[in-house]
Amino acid sequence: MAMPTENTRTDGPPIERASRWILAAAVTMAIASMAMPATAETAPQDEVIGYVKTAVPDAEVVAAMNTSNTATTVKAVPGTPVRRGNSLRTGPAGSMGVTFKDNTIISIGPDTEVSVDDYLYEPSKGDLKLGASIGKGTMQYVSGVIAKLKPEAVAIKTPTGTIGVRGTKFVVKVEPTP
Amino acid sequence: MKESSPLRIGMPLPRLGRLAWLATNTVVLASLLAGCATPPPPAPVRYSATVVLLDNDDGTTGKVHVSGSGGMTVLDRSHEATFIGSPTGTTFDLNDGQLQKDFGPALAASPIPPTHFLMYFDFGSTKLTAESRALLPKILDEVGKRPAPDVSVIGHTDTVGDDPVNEALGLSRAKLVADMLAAGRKIEPSKIALESHGKRNLLVPTPDKTVEPRNRRVEVTVR
Repeated sequence: MAMPTENTRTDGPPIERASRWILAAAVTMAIASMAMPATAETAPQDEVIGYVKTAVPDAEVVAAMNTSNTATTVKAVPGTPVRRGNSLRTGPAGSMGVTFKDNTIISIGPDTEVSVDDYLYEPSKGDLKLGASIGKGTMQYVSGVIAKLKPEAVAIKTPTGTIGVRGTKFVVKVEPTP
Repeated sequence: MKESSPLRIGMPLPRLGRLAWLATNTVVLASLLAGCATPPPPAPVRYSATVVLLDNDDGTTGKVHVSGSGGMTVLDRSHEATFIGSPTGTTFDLNDGQLQKDFGPALAASPIPPTHFLMYFDFGSTKLTAESRALLPKILDEVGKRPAPDVSVIGHTDTVGDDPVNEALGLSRAKLVADMLAAGRKIEPSKIALESHGKRNLLVPTPDKTVEPRNRRVEVTVR
């Protein structure tokens, strides 16, 4: 780790403090990003990849950690954008449905948490990927263009294993065992 | 964070160099951040996961590959189910009653499926054919059926003409259709995504420099 050198010191204390702060922030972000789920490098994190189409409260869209170190949670209503890395979360009476750019549909029931870890849809470049994880609850998946063009690029993870899709519709339920 | 945390935030500062302090602080901050992203479940909780294959809307049935500690199981019949992690090939059938009981709200939350339209154009122009112009009310009906529609409009050309001309023509065609949809006032213009594929994505494969009316089109997807 490089600390400010003699050269930077000649610029005076405020700059030294500032550069230290920047260093600390950079290291923090680097470590935090290592701890976060891997996402596609080629596409921006904030790109809208789908929209909430149906929602019954409590339902929310949770953004992964951003550069200002805060997770943002927005109430899900029809029209709420969903971005790569977002999680879909519902309470005991909630449900919601999302349609993605490639026409993949994910809908979830109550007490559910699903994160969309990976999403790439650039058919002209052959960049196709859909990775989602269900931590708990119930979910229906209806495949879209990504699964049609490149089935092996779709993976739905659960705490006990992975579902690979071959162009299809299925439901999955994850619950704690007694 | 619990008392048992090995990070010891309250460690006396003077014993550590400033560098070490900075590093420790950074690690604490980073682990806090990482912790916020995915709150760790209480350690001993174990999960069970059930997957059930369903019919597609067109009546066909696809396939899923389920991989867990017990190996890989393929589901290829409607309502066929498995516990993820159970031994390879262990499946059972879930009846409709149980399906509704377990998955009713998730199934009910499924949005109206996307609908597709193709609109065709006269040669080298942004003039819609009469048949395609007549589709517009149907497209607007589909838009109006949805509480929060978004629409993708992709313009295409046939293979007559060079790339830049066709890219521009594809975009002009898409823009024409997008403007007509926006004029229907059933969708915010910001929810209409425009694209041109020029002659790169033919509906009917042809050699270069070939007149093909079916390739001169705009694809509209209403979601």
